[in-house]
Amino acid sequence: MERLLVSPSPHLHTKTSTKSLMRDVVIAMIPAVIVSVLFYGWSELLVLGVSVASCVLLEYLITKYLLKRPCTVGDMSAVVTGILLALNLPATTPWWVVFIGAVVAIGVAKMTFGGLGQNLFNPAIVGRVFLLISFPTYMTDWTRPQGFIGGGLDGLSGATPLGLAKEGGVAAIEGLDYMDMLFYNIGGSAGELSAIAILAGFVYLLARRVIRPYITLSILATVAVFSGIFWAINPAEYTDPVFNLLTGGVLLGSVFMATDYVTSPMSNVGGIIFGVGIGIITMLIRYFGAYPEGMSFAILIMNSVVPLINKVCHAKKYGRA
Amino acid sequence: MMKTFSIGGIHPSDSKISKDCKIEVLPVPSKVFISVAQHLGAPATPVVKAGDQVKVGQVIAEPAGFISAYVHSSVSGTVKSVGPRKDLAGNNMTHIEIDVEGDEWIEGVDLSDTLVTAIPEDNKAILEKIKMCGVVGLGGATFPAHVKLCPPPGKVAECLILNGAECEPYLTSDNRIMIERSKEIVIGAAIMKQVLGGCKTVIGIEENKPEAIAAMTAAVAELQKTAKGYDGISVMTLKKKYPQGGEKQLIDAVMGRQVKSMGLPIDVGAVVQNVATSLAVYEAVQKNIPLITNVMTITGDCLPMEKQHNYKFRIGMPLSYIAEYAGGVPEQAAKIISGGPMMGKAIANMDATTVKGSSSLLYLTAEQTVRGVESACIRCGKCAEACPMGLEPFLLQKYARNNMMDELEENAVQDCIECGCCLYSCPANIPLLDIIRIAKGDVIRIIRTRK
Ligand code: SF4
Ligand code: SF4
Repeated sequence: MERLLVSPSPHLHTKTSTKSLMRDVVIAMIPAVIVSVLFYGWSELLVLGVSVASCVLLEYLITKYLLKRPCTVGDMSAVVTGILLALNLPATTPWWVVFIGAVVAIGVAKMTFGGLGQNLFNPAIVGRVFLLISFPTYMTDWTRPQGFIGGGLDGLSGATPLGLAKEGGVAAIEGLDYMDMLFYNIGGSAGELSAIAILAGFVYLLARRVIRPYITLSILATVAVFSGIFWAINPAEYTDPVFNLLTGGVLLGSVFMATDYVTSPMSNVGGIIFGVGIGIITMLIRYFGAYPEGMSFAILIMNSVVPLINKVCHAKKYGRA
Repeated sequence: MMKTFSIGGIHPSDSKISKDCKIEVLPVPSKVFISVAQHLGAPATPVVKAGDQVKVGQVIAEPAGFISAYVHSSVSGTVKSVGPRKDLAGNNMTHIEIDVEGDEWIEGVDLSDTLVTAIPEDNKAILEKIKMCGVVGLGGATFPAHVKLCPPPGKVAECLILNGAECEPYLTSDNRIMIERSKEIVIGAAIMKQVLGGCKTVIGIEENKPEAIAAMTAAVAELQKTAKGYDGISVMTLKKKYPQGGEKQLIDAVMGRQVKSMGLPIDVGAVVQNVATSLAVYEAVQKNIPLITNVMTITGDCLPMEKQHNYKFRIGMPLSYIAEYAGGVPEQAAKIISGGPMMGKAIANMDATTVKGSSSLLYLTAEQTVRGVESACIRCGKCAEACPMGLEPFLLQKYARNNMMDELEENAVQDCIECGCCLYSCPANIPLLDIIRIAKGDVIRIIRTRK
């Protein structure tokens, strides 16, 4: 009572902190993590463990010894990057390749730009794309390791559905059961195994008001409309919308990576432009480009346009119609 | 569907702990110190000197300019001194010190409980009374009420909005007067409406005050049935969202119109007055009682229920006296706020005294109010999402830290209403409003010198 605190208003503050937001993102990824571990077993656990541990350790070492700044590991953003990177790799990736991915993600994409909040590109995607270009064999090895359940998922082992479609055309993916894919059977990176698991994370993030829905929904809508038009014109040549939504990291990317605060636009309108851009670039790469999927590249390309989008798109101001 | 304003806003817990505490009258202390700066604009000029005898309701300071207001004595007794004394922020301001003797009122004041529902016809006389009784806006800005009730030539009032939103957490004084003095408030509204030319009148109340909504609705209905001049008054329930009680936000919520940047409510045909102001208008016009009392809330999570109060106070009472009377300052209180927790002022000096616009003693604990350590902006956009003016606080603070005045003006820093939504929402604890407030002052100064 003797010494009253005096400071300017407001005198109350939200309980939400950077750390609590990151914790929520981690929680939102848990369903996808669980599914991937269940079906891909020990090797997936190893990828996850190495990825998270190296991301956190690298951030700690870099802030402490290289930048000599207060350590930022406590905000949990490195954990998010670690899990995201792991979910974006095949479960068979050797541990040292995962480590290199973490070095690129944290060391290059995040810390050289000045740490959380300053980076232009999503660290996890930079890590993944670097590995994709440097170690294409490991990164496209889709053999399925032994999981804890669902022993040897049959269906399309050995290659991703998108890869099959790229090489063999629409005929190659005939007989795919989309209902299956919804739950557990999406060939590709570990994290995209189950569409439902990713969507559960999306719902959680929305409910906790961690993210706004515009970016994710505009990506999904664009992919659906774009592929819908081509498919309607020529179903023998172009893959259908459902297939395109469920494969190649579209869900994982649109829910967890394109929505990254730091590397996406601030305004809702900006978010929609960003999402539509990602959707179009992804589909252009898939239909006409050299890579079967395209989501990672699309996000990186649009990341680089974010400063421009932010310059042009502003929130609607009161009384300034 | 319930209405609310269209841009931004936040939903802090409303913490209306004292909402059911009936208004109690504070006994008069042995001494009061009445400030001459109780309103927006020039401080009033004292017209009494040490040794003068004064009665309750007597003018002791006169307006010093067009935007200024009369100040009346809240007690009877002897003027002890006229001189500087510290206000609640710790700044010196002229106060009139009065030793209390008895409780003798000036002539012509009607202190009975009789409700006077007939509205006088002469608008000029009404305005004069409002002015002579020192009525100012009691919603926070304390702008002289009669000035607001005289729209500049060429402007027409289309809607009088009575602000009963009380959107600040913890505050419950407006809630209580709407429940206990509902008819008086409606009569005050009808008087103002008549002065404004008989425009539509809407009493906006947030949904979290169902008792007030019911009482006000019943009061309107009854007065419409039994007296003349009450047509076109209605109660509107608003969705709970802070800062609904902000003038610009309330106009948007009630009328669906937005005031232009640097413009006035009357530009879109709106006049906004607080419910407490309406009560003061009633007392001034119908009862000849000058504005020397108001209701304040004593509250906080660290106060037990029996120490939560809504008090009718007189101006000039030392805050320490009120706190003592209410049962003392709780041990856990780290900060005491006068006003709401979002826009109120932290009290530096408990020896300061009540003014017309006093609305609370709010006790906050260290855990509630001490800010976290600032970290890097994560560009989450939560500040922009929360801003009811549609500004981009993360951008403004960046420009402000780099002294980029042109960019600040282009991005409308001058439109900031200092509601605190941005700072409240920022997960990185960036002192957004602290920085923006200073920048806003600078930019407004630049704009003024240009004209
Ligand atoms: S204080 Fe100003 S900038 Fe911050 S939210 Fe309120 S109006 Fe917007
Ligand atoms: S709320 Fe804070 S962290 Fe988020 S964008 Fe605004 S300033 Fe940055």
